[in-house]
Amino acid sequence: MTDVQADPRESQRFRFVRHAYADGVAELAYAFDDGPELVERITFPGAPAIPAGREAAFAAALRLLHLVAGVSYYKAGIPPAIVVEGAPLDDEGAAMFDALYVHGLAEFAYRNRLDLRGRIRFPSSAAKPVAAPAIGLPKRSLLPIGGGKDSVVAVEAVKSIGADATAAWVGNSPLIAECAARTGLSTLNISRELAPGLFELNRLGAWNGHIPVTAINSAILVVAAVLYGYDSIVFANERSASVATLEYDGQEVNHQWSKGFGFEKTFHDYVHSHVAADLDYCSLLRPWSELAVTSAFARLGGEYFGVFSSCNRNFRILGPKPADRWCGQCPKCHFVFLALAPFMPKPRLTSIFGRNLLDDPDLAAAFDALLEFHDHKPFECVGEGAEARAAMFALANRPEWQEDALVARFRREILPQLDPSELALEPWLQPGASHLVPARLLGALDALG
Amino acid sequence: MSENANAPLPDNAPWIVMKFGGTSVATAARWRNILELAASRRAEGARVLIVVSALSGITDGLKQLCTHTESKRRSDAAAALADRHHALLGEMSLALPETLGARLDGLAVLAEAGPAALGELAWQAAVQAHGELMSSALGAAFLTANGLPTQWLDARECLNAVALPNQNERTRLLSAMVEPHPDPALSAALAARGEVFITQGFIARDEEGRTVLLGRGGSDTSAAYFGALLAAARVEIWTDVAGMFSANPRQVASARLLQRLDYEEAQEIASTGAKVLHPRCLSPLREPRVPLLVKDTNRPELEGTVIGPEVREHAPSIKAISARKGITLVSMESVGMWQQVGFLADVFDAFKRHGLSVDLIGSAETNVTVSLDPTENLLDSDAIAALAADLARVCRVKVIAPCAAITLVGRGMRSMLHKLSAVLAEFGQLRVHLISQSSNNLNLTFVVDEDVVDDILPRLHEMLIGAGALRTDDSMVFGPAWQALYGSGEAALPAAAWWQGERPRLLELAAQRSPRYVYHLPTVRAQARKVKLLQAVDRAHYAVKANTHPGILKVLAEEGFAFECVSPGELEAVAAVVPESAPLLFTPNFAARRDFEAALATRATITIDALHPIEHWGELFRGRAIVLRVDLGRGLGHHQKVKTGGTGSKFGVPIEHVDRFLRLADDAGARVIGLHAHLGSGILDAAHWGEVYSQLAALAERIGTIEVLNIGGGLGVPSHPGEAPLDMIALDRVLTSVRQAYPQFQLWMEPGRFLVADAGVLLARVTQEKEKGANIRYLGLDTGMNSLIRPALYDARHEIANLTRFGAPATTMYQVVGPICETGDILGSDRRLPESFEDDVILIAQGGAYGAVMASRYNLRDAADEVLLP
Repeated sequence: MTDVQADPRESQRFRFVRHAYADGVAELAYAFDDGPELVERITFPGAPAIPAGREAAFAAALRLLHLVAGVSYYKAGIPPAIVVEGAPLDDEGAAMFDALYVHGLAEFAYRNRLDLRGRIRFPSSAAKPVAAPAIGLPKRSLLPIGGGKDSVVAVEAVKSIGADATAAWVGNSPLIAECAARTGLSTLNISRELAPGLFELNRLGAWNGHIPVTAINSAILVVAAVLYGYDSIVFANERSASVATLEYDGQEVNHQWSKGFGFEKTFHDYVHSHVAADLDYCSLLRPWSELAVTSAFARLGGEYFGVFSSCNRNFRILGPKPADRWCGQCPKCHFVFLALAPFMPKPRLTSIFGRNLLDDPDLAAAFDALLEFHDHKPFECVGEGAEARAAMFALANRPEWQEDALVARFRREILPQLDPSELALEPWLQPGASHLVPARLLGALDALG
Repeated sequence: MSENANAPLPDNAPWIVMKFGGTSVATAARWRNILELAASRRAEGARVLIVVSALSGITDGLKQLCTHTESKRRSDAAAALADRHHALLGEMSLALPETLGARLDGLAVLAEAGPAALGELAWQAAVQAHGELMSSALGAAFLTANGLPTQWLDARECLNAVALPNQNERTRLLSAMVEPHPDPALSAALAARGEVFITQGFIARDEEGRTVLLGRGGSDTSAAYFGALLAAARVEIWTDVAGMFSANPRQVASARLLQRLDYEEAQEIASTGAKVLHPRCLSPLREPRVPLLVKDTNRPELEGTVIGPEVREHAPSIKAISARKGITLVSMESVGMWQQVGFLADVFDAFKRHGLSVDLIGSAETNVTVSLDPTENLLDSDAIAALAADLARVCRVKVIAPCAAITLVGRGMRSMLHKLSAVLAEFGQLRVHLISQSSNNLNLTFVVDEDVVDDILPRLHEMLIGAGALRTDDSMVFGPAWQALYGSGEAALPAAAWWQGERPRLLELAAQRSPRYVYHLPTVRAQARKVKLLQAVDRAHYAVKANTHPGILKVLAEEGFAFECVSPGELEAVAAVVPESAPLLFTPNFAARRDFEAALATRATITIDALHPIEHWGELFRGRAIVLRVDLGRGLGHHQKVKTGGTGSKFGVPIEHVDRFLRLADDAGARVIGLHAHLGSGILDAAHWGEVYSQLAALAERIGTIEVLNIGGGLGVPSHPGEAPLDMIALDRVLTSVRQAYPQFQLWMEPGRFLVADAGVLLARVTQEKEKGANIRYLGLDTGMNSLIRPALYDARHEIANLTRFGAPATTMYQVVGPICETGDILGSDRRLPESFEDDVILIAQGGAYGAVMASRYNLRDAADEVLLP
């Protein structure tokens, strides 16, 4: 082992070196070739001792986390070989990690013009694992929240059936903390410290780009669920997260792949079979479209309107002004504005955003991209083009909106090229069939209708 | 108390009405304050009538009491409210006075009985009136016990509400009106009873003898009613701020206290945003010409605002700028319909039907646009959708929101229009949806998009001062800045400038040669150390374009600064003076290929601010670490020509081209290691850099290769009297809070003007003077825009002093001009200086930045030379 970092793009092997847990801190170590260890630390506040009877589940959860979180480091060099120290993975596990790394890094690969197919292969043995038993987890849920409308809607649905739940988040965001406080639930804030060496690698020329952060947060919460005792991790990913952003060289690229149903199902099954049979992983909003979620959000009313933000650019700094929460320039801002508009009085919506994004002619190209008119869907967590078109069509028929620059433009230039029979809003408000919500929480699912 | 020993007042002694609000009567300490103030008025030889609100929180408690349907809960609530008064009595060491006991009993009876006997609304009014009845009874006992005999007066004996045709039962009982006229009989009757009185705000009696309430702002209104009834010498409103300001201090920290206003101006300011006074409390005083004085209870020594009859001897001036947010506009477009009889009536009927009340109206031949205030009905019901649907049947409707109304207030608005060109140009940059100017000639209102208001308001306030439209130099009208009175930390008075202490040397230097620039190096060092105190900043660059004098570069190198250059020439000048170890940054704009080639041959880090260089000259940057200058889409600064963000500015790569830039950099084999944004110059608001920093950081996080964020410069230097300096501690706090969220990035800054502006002065001599018209006097100097172009180019204000006659009274208003054949060759407009004479030495301050470096030989006149003071 050397102490000096080298350009990871020149390396031959990516190594999952070791993982450990003590006093509420998980340590995950990685390395390129024989280079210095890259150690990530995740801190679980007020962690109890690992409860008796859950030791094996905890070990399995920690290993899962080690393997999932490695994606942040692996991508710096994408060397040809992956080495996992310790007991070999079984086929099911290796297949899941292969899929996570290939699909979760698809946007990264597209941006950097790389082809990862065939390059990522987690080593495995054919041994059949013993199915994980149930470990008697208490009947309460972890609700990851992100400060945006989706998690707020999920939280309120769970509260409406009186289920026991804790609002959880990873990292240090004042906006999320404020939103979490507003839910009235107990809270759990886990902190995550990337290996400092990663910044050094960046200076040396590492590959960089988007990673499947929801998968990492999911694995962190699996560890938390076993440690603190929760029987379910309930995300707020909706239906459209499963739709690919674009197709590139025969491969689908989905910016939010780890929020999609494919990953959810694989991860859910893996947690059941490898960690604990009674730990559920699901998304409450899965059957619902973005539009159904925004309409549910609009119904919640005033209390959240002044604190939430789904904007990805601006929300680190909390302030009383709308411009502190909504940059107005990113696709998230554009989509959330458009999707809320059919369900909220116009003066209320514009007061939340502090401006009217649909009356700004400079944003024509940005909204075209949302509508999938001329351009592909932007790389952000936003709804399907068809939903955006349905919302825009609804506004085109509303006198208080139809003269706004971009709505008028839609009526004039885009609408004539569309089939009006595919533009109705109502079908989007109906639930789909697929979801993994456990029986205990089905009432919350219905509360969203 | 000594005042008690005063001789009895004559029957015709003048009256002073003093009003105190809820927080001013809530504690024993605050009552001692009232005692002192009332006793001092009595000592002036006046009869005093004190008008009080209920103890803070009591009115809300009484309203809450009225919502309970069970008698028991109402009684419990009344008991809890009584306890507040018992507790305050305890604090005052007083036994329960009979008057207060009677009021507490009265409230208990009303609470138990409920609304049945009186009727709901009359009962509510009777219950809520007890807040003031109790506080005034308590006050009378306290003042009397402490040596100021005070008579308790029931306001309902004096204030008779009148029923107006547009009132319903609710407004007659809960928002009643009184039409007071001077009543000498009442004055005489009271004079016979005593010298100091205390009574209730907020309440009156109607023609049926019922207790009624005066509605919002009711206690101020009561004080005004009493002022009119008694034809008082003045009405004093004691509150928690010294008066009305030229802008909302929360938006404009440099807003100035308005010391004198006429009734109409004050009412207009109160109606368009100021919260200090309720607008309705002024009209009762207008006819009897009773002045109203607003004073700060905690700072009684401050002048406050006097509102009285129109004052003719003042120059016309804009008095205030205000903004109201959350406004929705409805624009209705139709051809030819507006002239049809009844069409407009039908349109407005739709507004009435949907419960929406119209405020401003603007109209053209084919368009009528109206504004709606942000009511609950507007925000949370489908009223606007239903209204738009109705209107869409008869015209084209557009609903424009969110908007804000920005109003300039001042008597004789139209006579000031010619001074507003810069202000109007500023509005020219915005979407202005409606302009309104009423025939009373007191206001000019612009309705614009709401998101621009917070940025534009401080700027407009500055521009109005700079344009001489808001005459802050008139010390009769304009008092100190809010920041100076209430701001945190900094002392109210700025430290004297260095040149005041160096007067003899400067006079000597000017005697040797004129014009000349003089730079004071200790001031450069002092400013440098202020920047170095910013803990959050990893590297500070001096933006050398501000002043490239080798002596200054050397001092800043010694202070540990890096250097930012924008041309090969600047790189050369810096390299000739500073040591090899000082880092260099090259941040050009529209630089030629050969400029980049020259810069790449130095050790400078290169910033690129366009796609063209990386797209067409990519090979130059292969293997190099570069910084990308982005345009975050808006600009700030003290003048249009110093804003460097937004589509109107030529700087930076727009956000939507960043991805393309990164791809091109990748293709070229260059590493983008930094992001840079710089929005403008002369910014005095610390929060601004936090915004730039966090936006850059959020952008950088998505890119991945970024190590450095350069948030530019633009640290403002105050140039107007009373303007607050940039709060460096607040700035560091803002930067540190962003830094904690993004510890992975290094932070760079590049201040220029901040380091050197105050260190330099331009010395010139008077050549002659000239008079034009009745009162315009020009003072001619031996240099002008050829040495210092900032006043002409940016309308910049530089302080001007007559060094020869420093300290003599400033009696004459001059236009200070140079010898260049240009109308714009003006160094300072409307400057009050001592009467000045040929050969006097005139100092133009803040000449250290963008002075000598921008000088020219226009008219083939030699520019000033440069001298260092070590």
